[in-house]
Amino acid sequence: MAEEQETQFSFPAKYRLTGEMEGCTDERKLELFERLLKTREFDARMRKLFRQGRFEGTFYSQIGQEACDVVIAYQLDKQDFVGPSHRDLGASTGKGVPLKYLTAQVYNRVDSPDGGRYTACHYWHPEFWVMNPSTSIVMNWIAATGAAFGYKMLKKDNVAVAFCGDGATAHGDFHEACNFAGVHRLPIVYVVQNNLWAESLPVALTTALTDLNHRADAYGFPGVSIDGNDVVETWNTTREALMRARSGAGPTLIEMKTYRWHGHSDIDPADYRSDDEVAHWMERDPIPRYEQYLREHKVLNDDALVEVRMRIEAEIEEAVDFAENSPRPAPDAYQSHVYAEAYPGFEFGDRNPGGANG
Amino acid sequence: MAEITYIDAINRTLHEEMTRDETTFLIGEDTGIYGGVFKATRGLLEEFGPDRIVDSPISESLIAGMTVGAAMVGCRPLPEIQFADFISPAFDQIVQQVARYYWRTRGAFEMPITLRCPYGGGVGGGVFHSQSNEAWFMNTPGLVMVAPGSVRDAAGLLRSAIRSQDPVLYWEHKKLYRSLKDDLPDGDETLTPIGKAEVARTGSHVTAISFGYTYQLCLEAADQLAEDGIEVEVIDLKTLLPLDKSTVIESIAKTGKAVIVHEAPKVGGIGGEIAAILAEECFWELDAPITRVAGYNTSFPAARTMEEHYMPSTAQIAAALKTAVET
Repeated sequence: MAEEQETQFSFPAKYRLTGEMEGCTDERKLELFERLLKTREFDARMRKLFRQGRFEGTFYSQIGQEACDVVIAYQLDKQDFVGPSHRDLGASTGKGVPLKYLTAQVYNRVDSPDGGRYTACHYWHPEFWVMNPSTSIVMNWIAATGAAFGYKMLKKDNVAVAFCGDGATAHGDFHEACNFAGVHRLPIVYVVQNNLWAESLPVALTTALTDLNHRADAYGFPGVSIDGNDVVETWNTTREALMRARSGAGPTLIEMKTYRWHGHSDIDPADYRSDDEVAHWMERDPIPRYEQYLREHKVLNDDALVEVRMRIEAEIEEAVDFAENSPRPAPDAYQSHVYAEAYPGFEFGDRNPGGANG
Repeated sequence: MAEITYIDAINRTLHEEMTRDETTFLIGEDTGIYGGVFKATRGLLEEFGPDRIVDSPISESLIAGMTVGAAMVGCRPLPEIQFADFISPAFDQIVQQVARYYWRTRGAFEMPITLRCPYGGGVGGGVFHSQSNEAWFMNTPGLVMVAPGSVRDAAGLLRSAIRSQDPVLYWEHKKLYRSLKDDLPDGDETLTPIGKAEVARTGSHVTAISFGYTYQLCLEAADQLAEDGIEVEVIDLKTLLPLDKSTVIESIAKTGKAVIVHEAPKVGGIGGEIAAILAEECFWELDAPITRVAGYNTSFPAARTMEEHYMPSTAQIAAALKTAVET
């Protein structure tokens, strides 16, 4: 049996995960694995459904980068604040948002948290404190920093986590947020997923830095660069950063080196990259690496994996059915919640004043 | 009763509201240690401490945008842009995030944010210290804009804005800071309603529609014309977004003539929106062309001679009102 498992995973030794996951029980290691695999399977299923024309718009696949989001989000308390970017499916799945809200978001249906009015694939949920991501790059970096400020000012114990990509680190808002968080030692962890490409822009045209952790040097708080496809290293690093934030020691910037297997969105053939580069990173797939680690540590076996897969499959099926059966929003359903207060002069507009309207 | 200035009314209201609500905090450039470049925030740091009175780095995008996350977790933020001219780096956060977040989340998160913008000319500040750039934000549903033109409203609109659950841009005119004084009783808690314009002076011949500093000029022009027997109705808009259409329309139904006054350049200014409302909704009540007295379509000049030339004057407003009446 052990031999079979060895042959099933043919990673070069250098990709093998080693070391302990600090403070993580076997039960939680397994649950974390389930969330990672769920994120992968959900994403793959959405890509298929997009190709079948089951929903409009496009889809932003996260496949390949799951560990960067899921591992830290999984460690958060429900009240901890998450400021994701548009590709951060794992911020929601990692924190435990039920998949049916995510499929409904992809489909723009009434059962999504915003009732289909906002933007497909921009996963969020108010009860899980995953904020509604802005399509404008790194805008949420500032919002998450504000949430961390709020928690500190209101003397709440919670922390904030913000996600962005390598491209976002060139934006002024990245600097303004990090700088402020450094000055005020805010309870926040900044995660930069360096997947080497900002849409079609190679990272060498975003920055002259090789390791983006050095960005933190400018803000007076620690920065670290890790293999974001190594679940064990990611666990230990994010755990320490979260402890720093909770203890009042201030922010940490973590650069996670990773890769998106597919295009910027699913209408992008990503032909600006070489096949060799893609193959190189697919070999470093975070999920089978972690699976092997769990098998080696006797946390996961074939039977357990079958159970996990069945649960995931069932939840995805249910979530897809939920979205496909969820009504499309009424055409004028977006005409609400412009303002919280009432104003005598506000109206949605009249396209034919004094005449008949349709 | 004590006579206080427009800026004192702002300062006093900030003190009162921050005392009343411990979830409020103020963030801006030079707002703490220095008490604000105009002293609008003086004494607040001493009273509320550095956790709630934040001297921000020079980061306008952060000042505006961090309020979204802070509001989500239960704060009532009071950001300040030092000069309204410096709001452009924050534009992205204001229009895409602050103004829309309530809509984007279908009401899950209210944005009780009051962003103060010292604006306007007449202070010899040159182009980066003088603009009236409120119209930049008119095309932004979800945002509220108020612009007090009196000492009472400087307090009353600020109090209403701070207590509102919506994001409010509060436009305070620098020229009025110390030139305008009025009695404001201690402990006054008047809330000027947001979304309501006021007929500040009644008249039957022509309506002057304005806000802020030029509203005061309209009152002066009305005084002058009264000597010639011309009765000017003066409307203080108070809220610029969403505009109170009905007060304006009712007045035009009475006078049939409208002169709209603001400092911002005429093209794309708020006057255009009001003129369009009047054309659309009370065309048959009008018996003269709608007139706009506004800033010229250039950048704002520095030298006093040019600044005086640029800004609408009482005489020009009176002339436009008279022309409308004589049409």
